[in-house]
Amino acid sequence: MPAFDWGYIWEAVPDLLDGLVVTIYVSFLAILLSLTVGAIGCALRVADHKILSFPVAGYVEFIRGTPFLVQVFFIFYGLPSLGLTLSAFWSGVVALTVWASVFHIESFRAGLSAVGKEIQNASASLGLRSWQHTLFVVLPIATRSALPSSLNTIVATIKNSAYLQAIGLVELTFVAVDRIAYDFRSTEMFLAICLIYLAVVLLVSAAGHRLERRLNRPYVGR
Amino acid sequence: MNGPIQKDVGITFSKVNKWYGALHVLRDIDLTVHDGEKVVVCGPSGSGKSTLIRCINRLEEYQSGEIKVGGIAVDSNRRNIDQIRRRVGMVFQNFNLYPHLTILDNCTLAQRWVRGFSRSEAEERAMHYLKRVRIPDQASKYPSQLSGGQQQRVAIARSLCMSPEIMLFDEPTSALDPELVREVLDTMAELAGEGMTMICVTHEMGFAKQVADRVIFMDDGAIVEIAEPRDFFDNPKEERTRKFLSQILH
Repeated sequence: MPAFDWGYIWEAVPDLLDGLVVTIYVSFLAILLSLTVGAIGCALRVADHKILSFPVAGYVEFIRGTPFLVQVFFIFYGLPSLGLTLSAFWSGVVALTVWASVFHIESFRAGLSAVGKEIQNASASLGLRSWQHTLFVVLPIATRSALPSSLNTIVATIKNSAYLQAIGLVELTFVAVDRIAYDFRSTEMFLAICLIYLAVVLLVSAAGHRLERRLNRPYVGR
Repeated sequence: MNGPIQKDVGITFSKVNKWYGALHVLRDIDLTVHDGEKVVVCGPSGSGKSTLIRCINRLEEYQSGEIKVGGIAVDSNRRNIDQIRRRVGMVFQNFNLYPHLTILDNCTLAQRWVRGFSRSEAEERAMHYLKRVRIPDQASKYPSQLSGGQQQRVAIARSLCMSPEIMLFDEPTSALDPELVREVLDTMAELAGEGMTMICVTHEMGFAKQVADRVIFMDDGAIVEIAEPRDFFDNPKEERTRKFLSQILH
């Protein structure tokens, strides 16, 4: 067993950074799309009509109840036989979006339930229309309540992008595994990508917590 | 009872009935509240007091009969509802302030979006009413930083910012610590002194004696007795009223 070699990691940095760019790109798109799908899904989920809420409830249960890797394989290997062929990159974006959106739907829903029904009476008695109440009262309050758990999902989206090496997407984990196949420096490579993932996650969490503090400063009060 | 006298009529209920499913929560309510009049509504919990005043600005619908506010029918017509809500302010048991907005913004949101005031006009009016309820120095704070009594006074100011002609109070002191009740009642009494038409659901009988022109006792969805405070407290006609009074006055 060769000794741990920092020099090897240093040599691999350019390749790893290429992989990191793909990781960030795929995660970024998936985060934006999953937040959007989450918002729309949540609106349907809380709708009065069962025709709207029931399919979303089913979607959430199905995605939450199946392994992410299987979902990735289904989208990349399974969809082509149904007539939809996506590149590894777009399969990754879709898979991460589908997976993350269900958790966003649930955290947004929890956020909405934090608003309470009575405050709507105050808005109505002041003459505010329901769209104004939704825009100026419900959404700001719900967003604050949903933020911590949505932040968790965002961080998990970045980490779950590592699964996409299994369908040949040349992202950070793929680069590491690929080099290990040639050089057998698994300790160095896995430690290196762990540190890189950690750095990205810490950065995103820090930004998220800043936002949380900023928004919650007034709300919590003391 | 028509012609010019009609103008004087603030709120009229004629044979109003309301059900929640099979539960009959308002029974044949007939009531007239004139402009400038102060009415206190009391009764055991579940007697329909809150429901009664929530029908006035259509936070609740009713199934039969008619309610008119300033001659405008309270019905499903959107324009009627808007006009009525412009005339009628409401204060709730749990304040219902906007927790994410400062006290000042709590008071300006509806002014700007419903009444179309500019930010500076709205803020000026808000400060005017916050001074009237004696908390202008709290304007930049958030609701959670204020005591319950202060929050309720903000809620009153927020309502007054819309220049209502009628104010509805739905148990405004029931959620307050005893030592904070006074400041809210004082604010309400001042408002009454300035000629505001008021309907207050409350168990504060001292307030009723001091401020009310008439006291209404409700039980089981019906108005049991209406009387001037002196008669109501000293000489109640109905057995149920006597029983209720003996329970709350100890």
